Amino acid sequence: MENITVTAEIPNLDVVNGFVLGKLEERGCPQRIQLQVRLAVEEIFVNISSYAYDPEVGPAEVHCEVLEDPLRVVIQFMDHGKPFDPLAKADADTSEEALLARDGGLGILLVKETMDDVRYSYEGGKNILTIIKNL
Amino acid sequence: MSMDISLIKHGKDAEVKLKGFIDATNAYEVEDILVDVASKYDDLLLDMEQLEYISSAGLRTFKRIYMDLRRKGGVLSVKNVDKSIMEVLEVTGFTRLFKFVD
Repeated sequence: MENITVTAEIPNLDVVNGFVLGKLEERGCPQRIQLQVRLAVEEIFVNISSYAYDPEVGPAEVHCEVLEDPLRVVIQFMDHGKPFDPLAKADADTSEEALLARDGGLGILLVKETMDDVRYSYEGGKNILTIIKNL
Repeated sequence: MSMDISLIKHGKDAEVKLKGFIDATNAYEVEDILVDVASKYDDLLLDMEQLEYISSAGLRTFKRIYMDLRRKGGVLSVKNVDKSIMEVLEVTGFTRLFKFVD
């Protein structure tokens, strides 16, 4: 099974984590990398849950597969909510004043930092965010 | 996710040991507990030795505690920060909010 579809709501983060991390566990992926992937998955799934369909709820589809040469995990998040490119904005300001003044933007910063590649596209009415981590 | 929080009192200051995972599914519960602790003590020290994971949802909790303490002249300190947690604090700038102690 390489795809799951869940309602994009924060309690379903456990389901998405179980799906993705199960695949990494099967491959004996080191704990440190699993934690980085978990972080990126959480930040993206929480963003979709919070904003994609707001104030409604809708589905999020997650595709995950481990590929060879080089060994890497490719994870795609798809939703048909509002078009939103999380990579379009400048990186969040992490000065103390900015941190205290507002929330937000830190999640995508963590995704970019921990993953080897992050890509966004909007196709067929869907937001598609793809992350790749070398294993 | 599972999370254990234990409190050690040092007179007017408190030390809190965080064990486990803080993510979007439990960050508000953790926040409720830490806000309560921060309201009762002058300074707060977070021992992160057994904290395995934190996301931006957990960082928002730390920010809330930092602001609560700062408003009354208190200090938020951390110790035993693991490499992967430190990476999250550095990338997000949260190292600026904490006093690091041994």
